[in-house]
Amino acid sequence: MTEIQILVIISIAVMLLLFVSFLLAFIFSQRKKLKYQQEMQNLRETQQNQLIEAAIRSEEAVRHSISEALHDEVGAILSSSKLHLQAINNDSLDDHDKELYEKGKELLDEGIQKVRGISHNLHSNILKEFGFNEAVSHFINKISQGTILKATTALDENYATKDPENDMSLYRLVQELVNNIMKHAHAKEMHISSTFINGQLMLSVRHDGIGLSQEQFEAFRYNKEGLGLKNIQNRIILLKGSIEFYTATNSSSITIYIPAKIPVV
Amino acid sequence: MQKIFLEILDWSEVWTLFIPLTVLLVKKKQPSFLKPVIIYLLIALALNLFADIIWKFKEVYHFPHWLQTNTYIYNFHSIMRFLLFSLFFIKLNQPFLILIKKIIPVFYLIFISINFSVFENFFRYDRISSRLLSIETALFLFYSLQYYFFKFQDENDASSKSSDFWIVTGLCIYAAACFPIYLFYKTLLTQSENFTAYIWKVPDICYIIFCIFIAKAFHESKS
Repeated sequence: MTEIQILVIISIAVMLLLFVSFLLAFIFSQRKKLKYQQEMQNLRETQQNQLIEAAIRSEEAVRHSISEALHDEVGAILSSSKLHLQAINNDSLDDHDKELYEKGKELLDEGIQKVRGISHNLHSNILKEFGFNEAVSHFINKISQGTILKATTALDENYATKDPENDMSLYRLVQELVNNIMKHAHAKEMHISSTFINGQLMLSVRHDGIGLSQEQFEAFRYNKEGLGLKNIQNRIILLKGSIEFYTATNSSSITIYIPAKIPVV
Repeated sequence: MQKIFLEILDWSEVWTLFIPLTVLLVKKKQPSFLKPVIIYLLIALALNLFADIIWKFKEVYHFPHWLQTNTYIYNFHSIMRFLLFSLFFIKLNQPFLILIKKIIPVFYLIFISINFSVFENFFRYDRISSRLLSIETALFLFYSLQYYFFKFQDENDASSKSSDFWIVTGLCIYAAACFPIYLFYKTLLTQSENFTAYIWKVPDICYIIFCIFIAKAFHESKS
């Protein structure tokens, strides 16, 4: 072999070696960048989740304090007013005043009932004492009373939680969804069911009204007016779950998946 | 067996082009920056087929005098390849050395005009232009390195498997391996024709790798 032939072979080898080294350095650098970007993304997501959690917890705290104020202060004043009203001797009143007296008592009773209802709704004692399933069943019974909506539940009895905070979010989520259905869907029938398999809770809300598709939900939740849907999405993020909207003629459903770390009782 | 293998390798510059073209048939929608590459593949297929037919059948079918050599086809192929891949690098829209990337093809055209009107004959019978090919591969190396440098710098772009990456990497492998051969081609030819014929298989193999990388780029592209 002549010198030039050896030179050519060595040159090819060196060029390829240099290129491979350069390529490896490039790939290594890109991977490092990708890892950094993923870390930043995770950090952003964590921060966002923390903000959502803080907002939801503070909202819950405000609900709690309003509920207590209504129950302990306004409720007590109204009850005291009722006692005072009952102390009035209505035998001495004429028919017109008697009528006014009865009307006042009736309105006062209604006011006391309303305050108690709002207070319980905000406080959700049942959720804390009897658990998620009982709270949802109670809520559904309550809202369907006196309306044309026929609401039923079939909740998995295996579900029980060790994290009441998460159940509170889930309960608020159901409340928000049901309120939306009552307000916008014009549904006549609604059925809430749940299954709890392999640590995952699947909660389904079906109704025969006008529902939302997944695309509509995605579009509305970025809308300023779609505050309720934004709250739903925030609670889903907080629970690290997912939500699916489906709609067809005379049948719509919303399915929530929650990866609950809860032991089966 | 070896004869068959060598025959297949001799025709590699034609059949290897069908690898990316087949992928292109399956995935027709390609981004606009890949259009120069698609045009190149079609032109290269015609030119390489023409060049190989001349090479293999010029004596069998007694081709006319102007079809007794295919060196000018390789020269033309080199010019087309350089111009189309320069366009590819410009169309990548990397905000890095923009002016230089636009000026290079102009200087290249001035260079080939001067070279083939003063120093070399474009239609030279016995050999292709070593200067033309070595300048082409050197500039491809420059283009490829500036592409990687830009990617190194760009903190937002962490991709290493995009279609442009595959094309540039294939081109860089081809240019890195072929540059010394093209540079010393004239000297090698005067010393030993056998060795030159033997080492000429390297560009053939690199061209196959290059075409596979182009096919991969078409497959990975987001139309």
